[in-house]
Order: sequence, then C-alpha cells, then structure tokens
Amino acid sequence: MKKFLWLIVGIIIVAIIVFMTTQKKQEEPTLAGKTLKLAMDADPVSLDPHVQLSGGMLQYSHMVFDPLVRWTKAMDLEPRLALRWELIDENTMRFYLRQGVKFHTGNPFTAKDVKWTVERLKKSQDFKGLFEPFEGVNIIDDYTCDLVTKKPYSLVLNMATYIFPMDSAFYTGTDETGNPKDAIVKTGPSFALNHESGTGKYRVTTREQGVETVFETFEGYWDDESPGNVDKIVLTPIKNDATRVAALLSGDVDFIMPVPPQDYERVAGSENSQLITMSGSRIITFQLNQNRRPEFKDLRVRKAIVYAVNNEGIVETIMKGTATAAAQQAPVGFAGYKADLQPRYDLEKAISLMKEAGYADGFTCSMIAPNNRYVNDEKISEAVVAMLAKIKIKVNLKTMPKAQYWDQFDAQVADIQMIGWHPDTEDSANYSEFLVMCPNKETGYGQYNSGNYCNPKVDELVLASQTETDPAKRSTMLQDVEQILYDDAAYVPLHWQNLSWAGKKNLNIEPIVNVMNFPYFGDLVID
Amino acid sequence: MFAFTIRRIAQGILVMLIISFLCFTIQHAIGDPVRDIVGISVSAAEREALREKMGLNDPFLSQYIRFLGKAVRGDVGMSFFFKKPALEVILFKAPATLELVFVSSVIIIFISIPLGIYCAINPKHILSRIIMGMSIVGVSIPVFLTAIMLIYIFSVELHWLPSYGRGELVNIGGWKSGLFTISGIRHLILPSIALSSIMLPLFIRLIRSQMMEILETEYIKFAWAKGLHKRRIWFIHAFKNTLLPVITVGGVQLGTMIAFTILTETVFQWQGLGFLFIEAVERADTTLLVAYLMVVGVIFVVVNTIVDLIYGLVNPTVRIQGTR
Amino acid sequence: MGTLARIRQSYILYSFVRDWVAITCFIVVCILILISFLSPFIAPHNPYESASINVMNAETPPMWMEGGSSEFILGTDSQGRDLFSTLLFGMRISIIIGCCAVILQAFLGVIIGLVSGYIGGRLDSFLMRMADVQLSFSTMMVAIFLGAIFQAAFGVAMYERFAVVLLVFIIGLAEWPQYARTVRASVLAEKQKEYVEAARVIGLNSARIMLRHILPNTLSPVLVISTVQVANAIMSEAALSFLGLGMPVTRPSLGSLINSGFEFIFSGSWWITLFPGIFLVLLILVINLLGDWLRDVLNPKLYKG
Repeated sequence: MKKFLWLIVGIIIVAIIVFMTTQKKQEEPTLAGKTLKLAMDADPVSLDPHVQLSGGMLQYSHMVFDPLVRWTKAMDLEPRLALRWELIDENTMRFYLRQGVKFHTGNPFTAKDVKWTVERLKKSQDFKGLFEPFEGVNIIDDYTCDLVTKKPYSLVLNMATYIFPMDSAFYTGTDETGNPKDAIVKTGPSFALNHESGTGKYRVTTREQGVETVFETFEGYWDDESPGNVDKIVLTPIKNDATRVAALLSGDVDFIMPVPPQDYERVAGSENSQLITMSGSRIITFQLNQNRRPEFKDLRVRKAIVYAVNNEGIVETIMKGTATAAAQQAPVGFAGYKADLQPRYDLEKAISLMKEAGYADGFTCSMIAPNNRYVNDEKISEAVVAMLAKIKIKVNLKTMPKAQYWDQFDAQVADIQMIGWHPDTEDSANYSEFLVMCPNKETGYGQYNSGNYCNPKVDELVLASQTETDPAKRSTMLQDVEQILYDDAAYVPLHWQNLSWAGKKNLNIEPIVNVMNFPYFGDLVID
Repeated sequence: MFAFTIRRIAQGILVMLIISFLCFTIQHAIGDPVRDIVGISVSAAEREALREKMGLNDPFLSQYIRFLGKAVRGDVGMSFFFKKPALEVILFKAPATLELVFVSSVIIIFISIPLGIYCAINPKHILSRIIMGMSIVGVSIPVFLTAIMLIYIFSVELHWLPSYGRGELVNIGGWKSGLFTISGIRHLILPSIALSSIMLPLFIRLIRSQMMEILETEYIKFAWAKGLHKRRIWFIHAFKNTLLPVITVGGVQLGTMIAFTILTETVFQWQGLGFLFIEAVERADTTLLVAYLMVVGVIFVVVNTIVDLIYGLVNPTVRIQGTR
Repeated sequence: MGTLARIRQSYILYSFVRDWVAITCFIVVCILILISFLSPFIAPHNPYESASINVMNAETPPMWMEGGSSEFILGTDSQGRDLFSTLLFGMRISIIIGCCAVILQAFLGVIIGLVSGYIGGRLDSFLMRMADVQLSFSTMMVAIFLGAIFQAAFGVAMYERFAVVLLVFIIGLAEWPQYARTVRASVLAEKQKEYVEAARVIGLNSARIMLRHILPNTLSPVLVISTVQVANAIMSEAALSFLGLGMPVTRPSLGSLINSGFEFIFSGSWWITLFPGIFLVLLILVINLLGDWLRDVLNPKLYKG
C-alpha cells in the first residue's frame, strides 16, 4: 500500500516537472505580426470555395481568394483582380485584369484562370444556378477577358463578385488517388478539400474541421495598399451562442460573429469589447399554405394574420431591437424597396377581419419552424403562436433542427412554415423568384414558396425585371411587385435580421464589415 | 475462459448487427443530409442527383447489405460532413472524450475511496453524516445543471477558468492531448468536475455500504480477535473485498458515464464524441451516427467482458457463464 | 386485526414518525405534488393559454428586483410567460412523466425479471444479455430512435400532442433492466426456498407460483428501487428536454426551461435558469431521501446500483 502511494507521488512529481518544461517552451512564440483569434458559429466546410454556396464559404473565400470585384461598405463595386471593366455590347462585359498577381503556389494569375474558374462554377451544383445566364469567358489576351451572357442580363457585375479566380495550373491533373484535382466533391475526400491556392492575403496552414483553422499571411500578396496588419488568424468554431460571447468577454478570443441579441448589451457595455451591428438583408417570414388550408385562400384571413402579428414587438423584445420590422421583402437600398409599405399591427382590425371572413371562433392549424437556423427562430415562432391565439387561431407548433427542417418544409407538412431569405444576388428580384412566384418544377421558380401563393401578375413583373437594364424602370417594376404582395398579404413579413460583430477594443472593426456579412479580414487593423 | 470470450465476441457482433439495422431503419426520419451539404438556392433536381449519387435512393435492404459488406472490411462509410471515413473521425475525436472520462475517473477514485472508507469506519461521526448528506444532494443535481453552475461561477463571475473547448493541445503520436499544457489542464478542470459530480456520490455511498457490510462479517471479527492492527484490517482485509462489487458497478455505470459525456460536452463545447454525436444528429450525418453507436457498443461489451474476467480472477467462487 | 391497526403497529410507521428527515421529505414531496397538480387553480397565469402570453413582458426580473412586477412573482421567461406558473405546470409534467415511466419500467422489468429468474436457462441468459445491451445505450439514444420513428409514423404536427406519452415510453423502455436485474436476483433466492418447492409439488402452474407466491416476496426491493427510479426518470426527462429532445417549447418542462434559460445566464437573466433548477433539484432530492429512508427500513442490505 505504501509503495503504491509513493509510486503515485512520484508520478505526480514527474508529471509536474514535464508540465513545467513543456510550458516554458510555449511561452516563447514570437510577437512579430498581429494574431487574430476569431470565433464564428461554424467553420468552412471545405477548402474548395465551389463546394457550397453559403455565407461561411464566401467569408472563407474572401480570406484565401480574391474576387474580380467586390462590394464596398456603401454597396458600390470596387476593383480587386479586375482593374476596370466595360460593356462592349449588350451581352458582353470586358474585364481588364490586374498584372503581377501571384497565387499561393507562385503561379502568375492570368485570364485563363478566370476562364477556368467560371467553367468550374458552371459545373458546381451550388453555383451553376447563379451562373446559368452566362455563356462563358473569352480570353482576349493574358490580362483581358470577356464575360459573355446568353441574353442581356442586369446583374453581371453582381455575379462577378462570386468569381474568385483559382489557380488553374494547381488544380489541374490528378492527385495521388488518381482522381482529377478539379473535382467538386461534396461528400467525400477530394484534392480541393484539403489544398488551396488562391490569390488572397491568407494561406491555410493548418485545418482541423470543426476545431480550428489557422490562416497565415501569404508573402507575395499583391495588395500593398491595404492597411491590414493581421499576420495570423486562428478561427475556432463555437456553435453555442452563450459560450461564444463568454469566450470574447473572458479574452479567449478577439473577435466573434454573430453576436446573439440577448448579449448585445453586455458586449457593448463591457470595457474591453465593442459591438458593431448593421441592418441586414435577410428577411424572416411565415408562409400561409393555401393548398393545405382553405381558410388561407381568403384574403381577409391572411390579412387578419398579418394584422395580428406584432412584428415590431418581436423586434423590440425577442430581438432586443436588433432587427428591423418589415412589411416587404427587400430592405432599404434595394431596387424594389417602397418606403410607404410599413408594418401594420392592429389587433382590433385583425379580429374584425376574422369575423368578416366568418371565422370569429377561429380554427386550429399547424406550424413548423427551425430551431437552429435563424437568430432566435424558435422564440419568434413561439411568439407568433401566442399572437395568433389572440385572434382565436390555435397553432400547434413544432420546431426542429435545420437538418430535419428543409425536408419537412419541402413536403409542406404544416399549414404555416417559417422561412428566411437572403438574396445571393444582393437584388430584390431574387426574393420573389424563390419565395412568391408560382411554384414551377421546370423553371425552378417559387422553389421555396410553401404558401403556394400564385399571382401571374407578380411572375410577369419579376421575369420582365431580369432583362430590364434600365435601373429606374426596373426599380418601378420591383416596387410594383412589393405593393401587390403587400395588398395580397401573400406572406407574413417579420423582420430583417441585423448583422452583428464584436471584438476587443483595439480592433478597428467598423471599416471591414459590410451588409453582406463578409468581413474583409485582410484589411483589419489591430492597434 | 476461451469459450467465454468467444461467446462474448459473438454476442458483441449480434449487438452491432441490431444497432446498425435500427440505425438504418430510422435514418430517413433523422433528416436529409443533402440539405446540409448544398446551399439553400440549389434546385430540387440537383439535390435529387446528389442523393442518387450518394446511394440514398436505393432500396433500404440493398443499402443495408452494401453497408454490411463494407463493414466486414472495417469500412463503415464516409461521414457526409467531415468528408472522411466515419471511423477515422471518431478515432480522431476519441482522445478528447477518453481524457475527460479518465480525469473524471481519477477524481472519482481518489475521492470516493477515502471518503467511503472513512464513512464506513466512523458511521456516527459528524463528518460522515455531512459527507453522506452532501452525497445525496450530489446525486440529485442533474449533470447539466452542475455544469451550468460551474460555468456561471468560475467563468462568468470569477473569470478563473475557461468555459469552452480544450485549450492548447500537444500532439503525442497522433493523440492530441490536453494533459500536458497549463491551458489544456485549465480547460479540463470544469468539465471533469461536472462529469464526476454525478458518479462521485454514488461511489461514496456504494463503497461505504459495502465496507460496512464486510466489517460485520465473521472473518473480520476473527481478524480483530487475532489482534491485527486496525489499519491492516481496514485497508487490507476489508477494503480488498469491498472492491469486487465496486468494479462490477463501475462496469455497468460506464454506459451512464458515456451518456453523461453527451451532456457535459454539449455544455462545455468539448470537442469529443458526445459533442460529435449531438452534432451528427443535428446534421443528419447518419453514417457517423451508426459508427458512433457501434463504437459505444464495442466499448461497452469489451469493458463488461473485462469486468467479468477480473471478477472471475479475483473471486474464484464466481462461475463465469459459458465455462460449462 | 384491522388494516388500520396493522398500519398503526407496522414497523414502517414506527420508524417513520421517529425520523424527522423522512417526515420533512414526505411533507415537501406532498406539497410539491399538490401545488403542481393544483397548478391550474393556484397559478396566477396559464402558460399553455397562448392568448394570455404577451411577448412584450419578456424577461421581466423577479418582483423584488428593479424592473420587476408584482404580476410576475419570479419574473418571466423569454416569451413573457410567468415563470412561477410555467414552473408549476412544468413540474406537473415532470412528475407525471416520472411516475408513468416508472410504472412502465416496473411492469416490464418485473415480468422479465420473474420469467428470467424462474425459468432460467437459455431464456434467462438471453434476457439478461438483452438487459446488458439495453443498458449500454443511454436514454438519450433510445430517445433519438423512438422520436425519429414516431415522427416518421405520425408526422410532425402530432408531436406536440403526444410528447408526454412519447417521453414516458422512451424513459420506460430505456431503464427496465434495473428492475429486471433486481427482481431476477431475488427470484433466484426465493426459488430455492421450501415454500416454492411445496407449491410445485402440489401441482400449481408456473404462472401462479410466480405471481402469487414469488412476486409478493420480491416486492420490497422493487418498492425501494421505484422511489429512486422516479427521481432518475425525472432527471432523464430533464436531460432530454435540455438537449432539445424532450418536451416541445410551447409546453416546457423543468428541463426545457433550464435549457432556454442557459442562453440568458451570461446576459444577466439568471432567474430563468435558477428557479426551475432549484425546484428540479428539490424535487429529486426529497424523493431520493425518501428512497434512502425506505431502503434502510425495508432492506438494510440493499445498496443503490
């Protein structure tokens, strides 16, 4: 027994000694450049930028790659790898490319990389929809190329923000397993999954999915004008909102995104941290399924529901003022925004509309919502259930994780379903194309229209706007769409989610964030 | 002994078959992994094509048989999310959970044995009563509540200890360990206390009652009569026999312990198997789920077999089933 | 001797009135059960009546704090529900699920234990192996299985209505081996005794021997486990709801309340977590203490496994 005890004491002492010595080594890391410890709710699912069209992947693309053009904070386009551009004819946009740009492998960047990238985009399952209007790229010389569309298209430059040229030489050929290096594989290993070569400021040096990704500066980066002074970024995904905030407040990380609304006050009030928020363009709505419920075919019932939902109240309490109550799909600044469409909460009116429609005693229906997709999605749906109870509509609510949700959403298992939408094109028409146009399997329009609202006039206007290149005319068309949807109470608008970022006080966050939620970390300055 | 081991292995395989079959029957109900893989604006036709490519549209039985065929060769499939073989993902994450379980077990063993013995030797002492009282309170606090309280007190209010993750890790031959850095150990403290909080009282009580029972037996009385030193009686004669049932219960409680790692790891965002499991459920990563359940099943069968063997070795009067 | 007199002279009552811990616990349990079952009458609000909830009241602190209101004694949760009322209703759900699940466990466990112990042989080893397998899968995994099957079979919309039944099944099915093992152990001991031998000799059939003769003699350990199991079942329910696999958000149990409060503890709304937490621990604690006492009285040798 005694020997055993001594043995344990011995082991502990040895452990402590080992521990001290290893610790010494770790206190040495050089502090030459600034390191940013970044915590997000998720990390990139792959190093291949074309594997998924999602906010997270685009955020990653902006770190490791560079687009031809990118949005500025004021929503103007700013040249990146394309120095300037001009419209040659109605179907052709010519891009003059930046010279002397190198990929992480050292290969020079030329027009053939642009052509190669657009071709790959057209093969990607996620991006091919966005690049459908494009014919392809014609190379004029090493630093000039033409982006050709099939017919006049109003959003060519918007789409150019999605072209992040990849190193065509690096991604050509086959890897050690004999598979082509340019394969876009969603569910298994591929060359591009673990290797990258872009023109961006950062290279990925280590990556352990779901745990940590380390980005380090690429020595040969072209942009010397950028004020950014961050040499190393350590990205840790922290899924739990409360934990992410705690990590910032305790100093474990320097920068977090997104910040949960319930913690805004705490983060802003803390002497070590700052909070930046910005009104976003993701609209949260409920769709009323007219095929499942005959009641929802009645305009008065739909209106009653819209009148009964106090979306300003939800914004104030559940969202803690960190959202903008909505009455239309597109927010301020978008082509289709119409200033006189305002939230219309009026319980009295809702009750009288129900009475008028012959449903004074209400009815029972079902609702589904995700519980880990949008900010406070579960709480919002609960609040709406309580609000509808006031006009005697009893709602059975079921919330579920997003992995289950979309299947149920597509199958239209419930009478009222929640959906949020952020247009990939940063344009008004995109909302309508997916959410309210008549569902059509062949064209793909109305893919997320689980309300089965269908108004030919809306379809006509939206389609016409796609080829209209006069901004003023186009804007009127899209505003008309919003007006019709408003009058028809086509769906229940809730709010536009705010975007939020928080960091330590010595970070200059303000200049690098924007309404697309792609923080340009390359330009980040740490004092 | 040999027959016994063979029999256990056969049982283990049967268990694996049942588990994998159950997993397959419900995989559609857990969710559709395709939705998590593609962006939201991707068309239904594209998704269908992907589903076809992943073999998710094949009839149930052919999917299952294909799975079994591969499983025999040690390939349980590819995790949709990690894009790696599921088994590899699990082995990669296992050290985190094993370290957590290990440290918790150390805490449990080093605290429960002395306290249990003390309470058994001095049953009427005020300290024993306090320990017993605390232990029943301990049993009654759910592990997630303990975890939340620990975070609130030590991370949020006092800022003493970190509230999430594993901290700095050292790579020792592929085993990423947090046991050798200050930051790693600091990260380990709260989760391991939380995890041990539910088992510790249980073991204190168990050891106490076993020990008290044994102190009443004839041979202990005989030892007293022989004039042996009291320490010798307590720590050598009585304690040895206390250990037997403790080992058995320990084996049975392993399943509970694994269940509690799910809760602890969720609260502390500990990148281990439990966290992986909950995330796999949310992402509908069915391959990973099947693999996880099978690994847990294997661990349980193996540990219980070892416990039975030890039991048989320590106490020859116990006849192991299967030796007849 | 009349039943009343028999109770009055029983050993249980004798030790009960002399143990102040047991008396206190008993009283507390009674109060908790009473207030939770009378919650529709004593709770100031009805948290299930969606129409009465106003989201504008969300996160009101308890009444004694700044910003608190006497309308909401313990404050409100993130939906503006009165926390005290929600707590009472939630506790009722917890108790119902706990008790029903234990009845189901006991039913399954006792039958399997009896059969397994009495008949023995291959059947016995098969059933006990099944118990082993069952034990290796925690309640959570069983919950995910059954939850998924249920959704596939009945659709999402029905979930809210049947969540309680579902949880009873999940917890009931997950923990029967505890009973089966205990019952089997005592059956094995009883089987050797002469009265069983005698019953067999006079030609009684197995079912009768099992149910009428052996079962009553194995009941005291069953009773002891049952108290502890109720506490465990309540804890399992809380854990499941905490992970989001239990009660739906619109009918919160104590576990789901704690879960929804977890998001807010960093931001200062500690009461959403703390009060349900206190009630949950109190409930489990007193049940455990009663179980402890009962064990000491009925069977001093039985330990808690």
